[in-house]
Amino acid sequence: MTRQFKRHDRSDIFMHWFNAACWIILLVTGVGLIGNPDLDPVGSWYPRTLRALVGGGANLLNIHLAVGFIWIFAFVGYLAINARGALFFLREIFMVSPARDMGWMIRKMVIMTLGPKVLRKLGMNPDLPAQGFYNMGQKAFAQASVVGGVIIAVTGIIMFLSDKVFTAQGTWIVSWSITLHFVAVGLVFAGLLVHIYMAAISPEERPGFKSMFTGSVPEDYARHHHGLWYDSVKSENASTGDETG
Amino acid sequence: MTKKQLAMVIDSGACIDCKACVISCKVANKVPGAFSRNWIKEQAPDFSGTARPSMHFQPGACMHCDTPTCVAACPTGATYKDLETGIVEIDKGLCIGCGNCIPACPYGARYRNPETCKADKCDYCPERRAAGLPPACVDTCPTKARVFGDINDPMSEAHQLLKSGKNPIVTVVNEVTDTKPNMYYLDKTAPGDWTEPAVVPASMTAMKQLTPLVKGIVGLSGLGVLAMLGRQLLVGDSHEQEENHHD
Repeated sequence: MTRQFKRHDRSDIFMHWFNAACWIILLVTGVGLIGNPDLDPVGSWYPRTLRALVGGGANLLNIHLAVGFIWIFAFVGYLAINARGALFFLREIFMVSPARDMGWMIRKMVIMTLGPKVLRKLGMNPDLPAQGFYNMGQKAFAQASVVGGVIIAVTGIIMFLSDKVFTAQGTWIVSWSITLHFVAVGLVFAGLLVHIYMAAISPEERPGFKSMFTGSVPEDYARHHHGLWYDSVKSENASTGDETG
Repeated sequence: MTKKQLAMVIDSGACIDCKACVISCKVANKVPGAFSRNWIKEQAPDFSGTARPSMHFQPGACMHCDTPTCVAACPTGATYKDLETGIVEIDKGLCIGCGNCIPACPYGARYRNPETCKADKCDYCPERRAAGLPPACVDTCPTKARVFGDINDPMSEAHQLLKSGKNPIVTVVNEVTDTKPNMYYLDKTAPGDWTEPAVVPASMTAMKQLTPLVKGIVGLSGLGVLAMLGRQLLVGDSHEQEENHHD
């Protein structure tokens, strides 16, 4: 059996799938809360049907709020307990090496959609620059999720507080929160489509997908897909004499 | 066209500005503080001519418009035109009091209730109607200036007043934003220049303008995924080809 490289703790794996479940419910209920012919992302049949299903728009709003608060509280709790892991994550996703990472991003996008032959025809080297713990695609989606997630949570709380603490003079803040909430969700959702394809449907990242259940990836996958991380784990283990990986 | 259209036909010439309608509405609907769901506008007397100066009073409230700008300003549909009754309703459970609808009414018929922190306005007294009574303002009017009913029902007094042809019918409309109001005045009414153009908050306008952009970005992302999926299915795994190149 090939040697395994650990990528995720059990708590990380749990939070990933917990987050995924919350986001799906929040997206499904949230889109149903938009009920204006100029906005309806999928058409007015959707809010109408969903509201009928749960017994009215007020119930739908309450479901959305309840799941939203469960998501926020669980996340805040997780971050408080696992501050070290959170800092590692933030450092990894926001440390972008422009030449290396942008080169990776552009070449990867061409390879995935048009194929490596096209890349060669364009006179570009189809070899991808080595990546760290996260590749640039993962970094980009993680950045969007972190920034978008904070905006979505904060604007969500503002909307929740609208009819509790806001006066008529302060409603412009609530109204802008609605706009921001909507746009941020749209942009994160655009990234989510690629994330789901790359992780769950594309065969290439299959070991990465499996690691979101098992916590670890095989050595050759780590070497090929996360070369810089692979090298750093190897040298760290060599210096501590730990060869288990 | 709605099945029913509950509406008011008002003989503003009969109004004596007693404001009983305003008081009874405040009591019936627990309207707090200085707010009010209805009003009486007054035409200032003209002393310049030789004719005897006189005043004209115009009772009003939410006009339950056919093209309500308040509904267009609501992101959630918490305020909506009920097609069963023709009433512009507010779903108080869905409304979060974002305030978008309030400047969007040319008549100033909406206010943000400081107790519930939600939008509020005339809803033709649903509790009273359920009990077979007319709205409080109609019931209380001593000169019977307000006539309430379904203007699409030929048997109703409101319909008969509107369609008899005996009186010309006027509405108070805003020249910039004609919302097709369902509040009708017999003969003539005044004043007519007090309405304001509907104002949709910049945040709501931005949301509407950004919607095609957001949809476009999601669509592009979806197309990218489809391209990758198509390549995966047609050409096979690009990774395996690359693997040979690597090793």
